[in-house]
Amino acid sequence: MAQDPDSTPSLLDSLGEEIIRIVAPVSACMLLVVLLVSTLSSSSSSPSPLSSLIATAYSDPSSSSSIWDKLSGALLSSLVFVASVTLITFLLVLLFYFRCTRFLKSYMAFSSFVVLAFLGGEVILLLVTHFDFPIDAITFSLLLLNFSVVGVMSVFMAKMPISINQGYLVIIGVLVAYWFTLLPEWTTWALLVTMALYDLAAVLLPGGPLRLLVELAISRDEEIPALVYEARPVEPLPGARRRLWRERRDFGTNSGSNSNPSSLGYMFRQTDERRDFGTNSSLNSNNSMTGEVLPETRLVISEQESAGDSSVSELRAPLLQTQLDSHGEQEIEGIGLGSSGAIKLGLGDFIFYSVLVGRAALYDFMTVYACYLAIIAGLGITLLLLAFYRKALPALPVSIMLGVLFYLLTRVLLEVFVVQCSTNLLMF
Amino acid sequence: MTAAAGLGYVLIALGPAFSLFVSVIAKKPFLILTLLSSTLFWLVSLIVLSAAWRGFLPVKSAVWWPYVLLILTSVGFQEGVRLVFWKLYKRLEDMLDAFADRVSKPRLYLTDKMLIALAGGLGHGLAHAVFFCLSLLTPAFGPATFYVDRCSHIPFFLVSAIMSLGFVIIHTFSMVIAFNGYAEGRKSDQAVVPVVHSIAAIMTLINLAPGGCVVGVPLLCFMAAVTLHYCWQMVWRRLTEHRNIQTNN
Repeated sequence: MAQDPDSTPSLLDSLGEEIIRIVAPVSACMLLVVLLVSTLSSSSSSPSPLSSLIATAYSDPSSSSSIWDKLSGALLSSLVFVASVTLITFLLVLLFYFRCTRFLKSYMAFSSFVVLAFLGGEVILLLVTHFDFPIDAITFSLLLLNFSVVGVMSVFMAKMPISINQGYLVIIGVLVAYWFTLLPEWTTWALLVTMALYDLAAVLLPGGPLRLLVELAISRDEEIPALVYEARPVEPLPGARRRLWRERRDFGTNSGSNSNPSSLGYMFRQTDERRDFGTNSSLNSNNSMTGEVLPETRLVISEQESAGDSSVSELRAPLLQTQLDSHGEQEIEGIGLGSSGAIKLGLGDFIFYSVLVGRAALYDFMTVYACYLAIIAGLGITLLLLAFYRKALPALPVSIMLGVLFYLLTRVLLEVFVVQCSTNLLMF
Repeated sequence: MTAAAGLGYVLIALGPAFSLFVSVIAKKPFLILTLLSSTLFWLVSLIVLSAAWRGFLPVKSAVWWPYVLLILTSVGFQEGVRLVFWKLYKRLEDMLDAFADRVSKPRLYLTDKMLIALAGGLGHGLAHAVFFCLSLLTPAFGPATFYVDRCSHIPFFLVSAIMSLGFVIIHTFSMVIAFNGYAEGRKSDQAVVPVVHSIAAIMTLINLAPGGCVVGVPLLCFMAAVTLHYCWQMVWRRLTEHRNIQTNN
């Protein structure tokens, strides 16, 4: 039984690949937000009109007011925000129900353009002033216009290379998250906690808007027009693999079964004076259990699932495996998380994770590291639950709760301990 | 002292860890997950320790015996928690082997197990280096620097970075030694790890004496070299034994 570890591929080579493919962009988004926040917060000389507008809209009382005042003010602001987000989500469900898909798609494109052009433009201007980078207005506006148009096209046209699509989604997440960190401190934390609770309610309660949306999309076998990050492999695939994707989708729509999973996470933007941003998120995945389901049972499963309960099905697995075998490719599997189906994470999740980490960065870097680890742990737990329950799950609650908990623990407990040890040059 | 110095301190503390990550761990996604979970696990152990000691801090600067107590309790707690870490790893190994049997792939090789131990140890070292050194490096990116009274020869950040480097190496490779010791049941390997950890931590107490860091920091680097050497010997022995068994079969 001479096993040469170099020739035969070991189990560790491909295990957990899907999780890393979603953890990497989340980490990149958080890293960019932390860098932006730490670079630009030190140079906050004259606040831009937008940030002063936000500051007055979410009027955080001066530091002389009591904790109770701050808390109640923050809670009020976040409740108003969550209420408006709920209304918008119900409006989205209504529009989706009446099949106004074109309107929704064009609104998405418009909002992405506004985020990239205006928010992105302002952030780039702040960076240019901070680093004294010499650039003239005409070049700047031309580059910005091109940047935004390519971004809108990459997000909504399927023919773009997937890496550009993913890159632009991360950039949109970074920009929106940066603007959220400009909110006052108590408001940000209250907002994060209430959004996590809202996400939990909206996805899991029977009357929740996001749950309705998912069920509608599944029953109609359509994709929700939304901004969603899909963790498909980025490296150049052999031609056989690409055909595999298209074949699978075609089969799915032809058969009418719920093989095309819906994914949630979309972004709204009200262009009113208050400039509220609404984002919702939930996590969905198209898993495929590693091939134990026989083709005969496929029909049974599809009939059961046509009721529209779960979004993922074993029915994908035997189909994929026969196709894979016919192409002679190596079987790719993970612990319960599919290889063919990529994990999809809504952009709202990216944004709120980054807001948490960005706000932690405004205090100190120790909290940043602790909150980063907590959020990744929460994401891992959510993915495990996803593999277990295999239905749409909210991605915010676990991560945000763990993040807030670790922020408090680090700030109250760990920092004193570590500073005490370090400044005395002690370490263990 | 400017961004270059700050970046330099970061690289001193984390350079070997980063190169280990890029060359060994980044290639296998499972090892990245092990690294992240291990860092989280040891961060939680640090938080528990800080919760236990919160009431007694800050310590008056003239007294030194509370620090001895601090170090000894912390090392003892972490070594105890290492056993818990080992138990968790055993369960993970069983799950992976069962999974491998189910999808008819080969079970975990010896090198795989050592790689997981390495990733776990790197997580441990990373947690300590990041929280003891990196999170305090933010002022180093500014225009000035800081000296501690007890060690006025070199900047505080440099001392801290070198100590973190030593501890990254010690923690990374003691985890490999420990896991192999628990797996084989060799008492000598199992005993070496807590001993090395305690000696290294007690050596940092030398830094409390004025001018002590001139002695303490090189001794720490010596301990790191000892750990590295021991781990190298043990891994070499284990792999040659394993290869002999394979060729004899």
